Amino acid sequence: MPAPICTLRKLEPTPTTVSFTVSTRAPIETLQARLIHYGFLAVRFLLVAQVLLVLWTKWDSTMVHSNQATIPQWLSDTPTGQWAAMLANAAAVRYLVPICVFSMWILVRREYTEESLLVLRGLGVETTTSSSTYLSTATTRFIPTTSIQDIFIHEAFKGFEVRFYLAIVVEDEEDVVVVFPVRTPAYSPEIKLTRTRLYCRDE
Amino acid sequence: MPYTIAMVSDFFYPQPGGVESHIYQLSTKLIDRGHKVIIITHAYQGRTGIRYLTNGLKVYHVPFFVIYLQTTFPTVFSFFPMFRNIIIREQVEIVHGHASLSNFCHEAILHARTMGLRTVFTDHSLFGFADAASILTNKLLKFALSDVDHVICVSHTCKENTVLRASLDPLMVSVIPNAVVAENFRPLAKDEPIATPRQPSSGALSPQRPLPLETVTIVVISRLFYNKGIDLLIAAIPRLCAAYPYARFIIAGSGPKAIDLEQMIERNVLQDRVEMLGAIRHEEVRDVMVRGHIYLHPSLTEAFGTVIVEAASCGLYVVCTRVGGIPEVLPLHMTRFAKPEEDDIVAQAGSAIAAMRAGRIRTERFHEQVRMMYSWTDVAERTERVYDGIAGVLSEEEFYGCVEGEEVAGEVGGSSSVVRGRSGVANFALIDRLKRYYGCGVWAGKLFCICVVVDYLLYVVLEFIFPRANIDVVRDWPRKKAIDETDETEKLGEEKTWIT
Repeated sequence: MPAPICTLRKLEPTPTTVSFTVSTRAPIETLQARLIHYGFLAVRFLLVAQVLLVLWTKWDSTMVHSNQATIPQWLSDTPTGQWAAMLANAAAVRYLVPICVFSMWILVRREYTEESLLVLRGLGVETTTSSSTYLSTATTRFIPTTSIQDIFIHEAFKGFEVRFYLAIVVEDEEDVVVVFPVRTPAYSPEIKLTRTRLYCRDE
Repeated sequence: MPYTIAMVSDFFYPQPGGVESHIYQLSTKLIDRGHKVIIITHAYQGRTGIRYLTNGLKVYHVPFFVIYLQTTFPTVFSFFPMFRNIIIREQVEIVHGHASLSNFCHEAILHARTMGLRTVFTDHSLFGFADAASILTNKLLKFALSDVDHVICVSHTCKENTVLRASLDPLMVSVIPNAVVAENFRPLAKDEPIATPRQPSSGALSPQRPLPLETVTIVVISRLFYNKGIDLLIAAIPRLCAAYPYARFIIAGSGPKAIDLEQMIERNVLQDRVEMLGAIRHEEVRDVMVRGHIYLHPSLTEAFGTVIVEAASCGLYVVCTRVGGIPEVLPLHMTRFAKPEEDDIVAQAGSAIAAMRAGRIRTERFHEQVRMMYSWTDVAERTERVYDGIAGVLSEEEFYGCVEGEEVAGEVGGSSSVVRGRSGVANFALIDRLKRYYGCGVWAGKLFCICVVVDYLLYVVLEFIFPRANIDVVRDWPRKKAIDETDETEKLGEEKTWIT
């Protein structure tokens, strides 16, 4: 499977701020692309709800000691509810549960990674890495200018490749902070280094 | 015409040694001549990743499984993905492998040919033909060198050896000797005190021209292994000490034979005549050498013997065995040759000691002469000519001295056309490469062909998994113009500005 090509976006909301975003998905710019994106999100949400409903129905039918169904009547009467009941009756628990878990995992997985670096002149830098699922939020880290010792670009072996990476040396920390840990921009980011320096420190 | 060259070998710094310094010196001089050079080696303890040395020489310490004596495990294909990545990102045109025991180098040559690059191999050592290990090594060498563009050997003896071992066409083997940095091996200046790094008590040894009744100091600097002829040394020292009471020995180096040497000293009670320094660093070699007058080199096999050039450069008279490439190295007035046997070594060393003591050997001009004979700039120039030849810049006639098909009468014509189906340069077509490998042996030929085909398929798969478009191309280190030898001083100044 060929590795996806990443794109780099630069945003300058104010003269003293700049944010670089590296993403493995194509940028959403046109209205059409936007609609498709949100449409897919909605479908994804509905499918997750459907899978949950199937599981819930199965729970009800297997709990023999309680005659009373926990699913409200209005939900089980809808075509969705009936379809879920059909599915739940058709498959045994030992098949249904793994299938549901697997499809949940497929549905909530974020298939792109987005990493960004926000540089605030005189204040510091903030790194953000998107999470691997839609359920959790992105991890961010703010590094104030005062604790930044150095910023450098170097190369390293990763897997079967040699990659460029942008790293920040933070005071009193043993390891450097690698800014784009998952995907490095598809071109050598030397230019960015100078920019980062410019923005981060008033040199 | 500037090239981008990748030097590939298992052996590189921080491990000290002859091959290592050869690669380093050659690379720096090639960079001075305007080429771009990178070095690919395996990771050493505490040294993994990418490093820059002086002058923008880039070293890839690739993490790899090391089995024995810093040689990586021969897996044939496992290095390919990483190698391809490095080659593409550095836009390498010529792959230059070093040392026949280096698995990295052989793999790199195979992969480089698959990728359609020019390859050169430098052989630094001599091998036998008889024992099992040599036969295996030679077969592998034959495999690796079946499809190499050109081979460089450090001496004519080494060339002969390599041509026989790998069944090469002698025309595609060049001889380019090693060199020394003569500035690092100056003889002792008149007023310079003798540096005694380890044993300050032995200050009685004078570097001045030995007058009668003064001591004559013999220096031996060598790794103390069997093939360095340490057994001969052990036999010769007591006899020399008995015959020449004014002779002293300084022995530097370490190895398995150190114990035997020490036993010899104890047995003959020579503690005040023979000084053992143990392992010394390469920078200290000169300081040890200038304490002596004669350099004794009893080696049993040697492809070139850089150390005797270093000794002569320090103004020492050299007594050495007539083996391997040693007789080619120094002019006759600097050396005295002995057969590799005890009696002859004692006789030759003895007469050298006597002559030295009588002041009949003048060594003052040795340094200057060696400086004129050996320089890395010259080595780089000649290597560059090899690159020109294989890249097709030089015409076939100019490079090989003869054109395919009209060879000198009496030679076996046509036999080399399969090996070297060239119109100036060897071509990359898979079928032609397979032809070259097929001739390696009844079974081996077929096995090698399978390896080459698998390698080719792997290349196609890699092109799909890691597309070229996704590999970042690195920026070059700021290049300087190719320099003439005349403005040497200017070059030094310029170098400094680049380093800062």
